[in-house]
Amino acid sequence: MTSGKTGGPIEILLVEDNPGDVRLTHEALKDGKILNKLHVIKDGVEAMAFLRQEGKYANAIRPDLILLDLNLPKKDGREVLAEIKSDSYLKRIPVVILTVSKLEEDIIKTYDLHANCYITKPIDLDRFIAVVRAIEDFWLAIVKLPPRALKRK
Amino acid sequence: MKLGIGGKNKQEQEALLRLAAIVESADDAIIGEKLDGTIISWNQGAERIYGYSADEIIGKPISILIEPDRTEEIPKILDGIKRGQKIDHYETVRVGKDGKKINISLTVSPIKDASDKVIGASTIARDITERKRMEEELKKTMAELERSNAELERFAYVASHDLQEPLRMVSSYTQLLEKRYKDKLDADANDFINFTVDGAKRMQQLINDLLAYSRVGTRGKPFELTDCEAVFEAAVANLDMAIKENKAKMTHDPLPTVMADEGQLVEVFQNLIGNAIKFRGKQPPRVHISAQPDKDKWVFSVKDNGIGIEPQYFDRIFIIFQRLHSEVPGTGAGLAIIKRIVERHGGRIWIESQLGKGSTFYFTMPMKGEKSS
Repeated sequence: MTSGKTGGPIEILLVEDNPGDVRLTHEALKDGKILNKLHVIKDGVEAMAFLRQEGKYANAIRPDLILLDLNLPKKDGREVLAEIKSDSYLKRIPVVILTVSKLEEDIIKTYDLHANCYITKPIDLDRFIAVVRAIEDFWLAIVKLPPRALKRK
Repeated sequence: MKLGIGGKNKQEQEALLRLAAIVESADDAIIGEKLDGTIISWNQGAERIYGYSADEIIGKPISILIEPDRTEEIPKILDGIKRGQKIDHYETVRVGKDGKKINISLTVSPIKDASDKVIGASTIARDITERKRMEEELKKTMAELERSNAELERFAYVASHDLQEPLRMVSSYTQLLEKRYKDKLDADANDFINFTVDGAKRMQQLINDLLAYSRVGTRGKPFELTDCEAVFEAAVANLDMAIKENKAKMTHDPLPTVMADEGQLVEVFQNLIGNAIKFRGKQPPRVHISAQPDKDKWVFSVKDNGIGIEPQYFDRIFIIFQRLHSEVPGTGAGLAIIKRIVERHGGRIWIESQLGKGSTFYFTMPMKGEKSS
């Protein structure tokens, strides 16, 4: 098992309101090659608080990768994405859109908002697991990410 | 119309009287006026439509019938008349004696004397208030229909989209159950798991097809000039595997260019050719496509040598999720979807077939592209 680039585990933020999907992602990452820690947030407002280290998230870690669902309570994934990508402290974090939507307009809109990639959740379990592993493999092992910014300026 | 002057013989007088009777009994308002707009004749039709009697109105200016914001119409019309021009079926609004607005269609012609000089105008006015009201009503009904159609499509779309999520849960967790506990369960339990997974997969297909069906109208692209030869090639390329596996032979006559949503037209060709292969007989499938002009439309045909269909099922096959062969995979949405596509293009689709002797599907496309719905 490899560890994260600065020694600790890779930190992944999963923004997903469906507990079934959260569990499936957990299951898929559990036996992965890379030591990782999955933080789960269930709505868009909380996700932004986490990322901005506000309130109860004052000590939250800056994730190395964000897995973002589009249809979220309170603040939807498109808004969360727009806020991340217009924040100089957060915009370098790769955001992987992981959603049920196959809609062309969702795909175009999220890439326009600088999503790093767009993935439709497969219905088949084996394929879902393969997709999560592929995300892990690509973004955490193959891709060279910018160094972790330690503090918000 | 010319007015003769004096010296009429009896025959001419009788003819004039008959003419006067016709004018008098006409349903339309027939009004004579001088070039300055003064009314000089007024038939019963005019009285019925406008409410003024001949005695009341003869000698008055024609502008009495006109709304204040339209008064510029009169000099415009009369200027044309002075130059000998006729005005045909000009639709406008006039005001009756009781102040009510009347929709009318006007035909105004110059009246000439024997020396061909324009001396006045004859106006024939038809009351089209009722027609206008019907048109308005039709417009309203159409708008209402469009709105409820759009709502229905939106509903089908949202329903099918939102149904995917829980279905993924059922399917994923049943599969996870199978993965983790397969060896710890007995044969019955494995059967049950398989049924659940199959059911979920089938439901998924049905939802996807319902989604595709509802999106024909909402997600369709505007019509553009589309070369059907290229459409044919694209459909065949998409079916490459099935064609090779079945050793199917594809032939076609020269195909025209039509106004269409190219992606949707590819779907139509692909579905019909795909069906021809799917419902093949013992012989390797032979599919022939052609297009014949018929007045203002093209009639496309897709002919196969497959198993054919009994006539009592000709209508049923175009209804969504209606299937004839449970042993052939599919949900039975394909023909329903392409029927909607053909109809969106202003065409229609039908089948001619004999059991065991193959089928020919026909669909029409307008020659001149109509505006996209």
